[in-house]
Amino acid sequence: MVKIVPRLLKDQLAKLAEEDLRIDERGRFERRKIHMEVDVLSNAEGSSKVVWGGTIVYAGVKFALREPYSDRPADGALMTSAELRPVANLKYEPGPPSPESIELGRVVDRGIRESGCIEMASLCVVPGESVWNVNLDIHVMSDKGNIFDACALAGIAALKTATVPANRFDVGEDHKLPVNKIPIMCSYQKVGGRFVYDPCEEEELGGNERVHITLGDDGHVHSLQKGLKGTFSTAEFAEIFANAGEQAEELRKIVEEMVI
Amino acid sequence: MGGYGDVELIKSNGERLDGRTVDELRPITIEVGVLPAARGSCRMTWGLNIAEVAVYGPMEAHPRKIQRPDRAVLDVRYNMAPFSTSDRIRPGFNRRSREISKVTAEALESIVMVEMFPRSKIRVEIEILCAEAGTRCCGITAAAVALADAGIPMKDMLVSVAAGKINDIVVLDLDKAEDNYGQADLPVGILPNSKEIAFLQMDGDLSPEEFELAMKYNMKAVDEIHKLQVEALKSKYSGGEN
Repeated sequence: MVKIVPRLLKDQLAKLAEEDLRIDERGRFERRKIHMEVDVLSNAEGSSKVVWGGTIVYAGVKFALREPYSDRPADGALMTSAELRPVANLKYEPGPPSPESIELGRVVDRGIRESGCIEMASLCVVPGESVWNVNLDIHVMSDKGNIFDACALAGIAALKTATVPANRFDVGEDHKLPVNKIPIMCSYQKVGGRFVYDPCEEEELGGNERVHITLGDDGHVHSLQKGLKGTFSTAEFAEIFANAGEQAEELRKIVEEMVI
Repeated sequence: MGGYGDVELIKSNGERLDGRTVDELRPITIEVGVLPAARGSCRMTWGLNIAEVAVYGPMEAHPRKIQRPDRAVLDVRYNMAPFSTSDRIRPGFNRRSREISKVTAEALESIVMVEMFPRSKIRVEIEILCAEAGTRCCGITAAAVALADAGIPMKDMLVSVAAGKINDIVVLDLDKAEDNYGQADLPVGILPNSKEIAFLQMDGDLSPEEFELAMKYNMKAVDEIHKLQVEALKSKYSGGEN
């Protein structure tokens, strides 16, 4: 479908920005309400559902045994994919994965992978012979803005609750998947000339460039991505980077409370 | 059908492995309006199955060659999430999901008043999040509710349910073990008011008498499930208790 950015919406967002207001009456760095559940899918070895405002995302973890790569004979692997299926919004068409869908999957994957939350060596069963392949699939059911953060949050929560099904594969006892860090993604979009946190659907439609920041437990940054047309200054980045630190801390608490 | 007729699926007291009687459904819940981005939506749990359905449209039909000058077309997709089964499914279409999408679309086109929306299309997205046998019935039943939630005019509801045969006994609503080791499966889609059939499939082995009994169980279940569909819609649109 052709995306026609409504001129009127852009104007409205710009006018609101002049008074530092947002279209859904939030503060500039105010997050929408989050509701999270874990262990919601009985056929997945770990799962979560995140309701982030009107955005709804499921994540599920599946395990499979396979031969290790020859250059890393004692390492398992984590594969993260996020799907933007047409169920999620009118704007998504059926067919092979769109560039948007692939970007989403890869950005979420980088944040989780680079945080080192899973030691690949802990996924080894028999060195050189068999290792665990961890598949983290993220399914967007309703897109009302900021699916990136919702996907990242659902993803780490599902991993945190996952049980390695060793018994079913006849390679020992079931045990919890060791996940020792909680990477958190925070996304910002330029709306009406300044960055706002957690953009809603209208802000994404009438906004400019977006920036995704994934932070680890120690405040270190693990992945960055700038998307869409637009430029920003280092001062603008410094402001949202500092804010991301605060947001990440709050979100990490939500995950920790949920998966004790 | 797996076809292992010798696996014990009915206990000596006549109960099934999960304690159900021969003509008892698994527990069912239906919720309406669960996906904010969709025009109409429904979440249905049926035993361990979970289906969520989104409806978009009516909208202009694209590509143009699918347009019909006298009616709307239903663009239905049945999809199983990668984590919905015990072994992960590779994302994307396969022959099974294509066939189910096709027969589901045809069943739904039989109840939607498609002639009211010429040249348009109505998108129905069925996502199976957890699968434990009977997902097509769950998807069709939930899709009919989601269409109603979207305000699409229909001449009747649609309820889909399956009966089958295990250990030479006809039973209603096969669960996963019964489906794997059973001898027959007869999923149908019934218009609950007229009792007409809009969807019908079967595989396995049934005598004419067994077929008749299976249809009888299905018909009885249709009324039970239809009640739940109506209750779910009413609880959204009649303001709950009042």
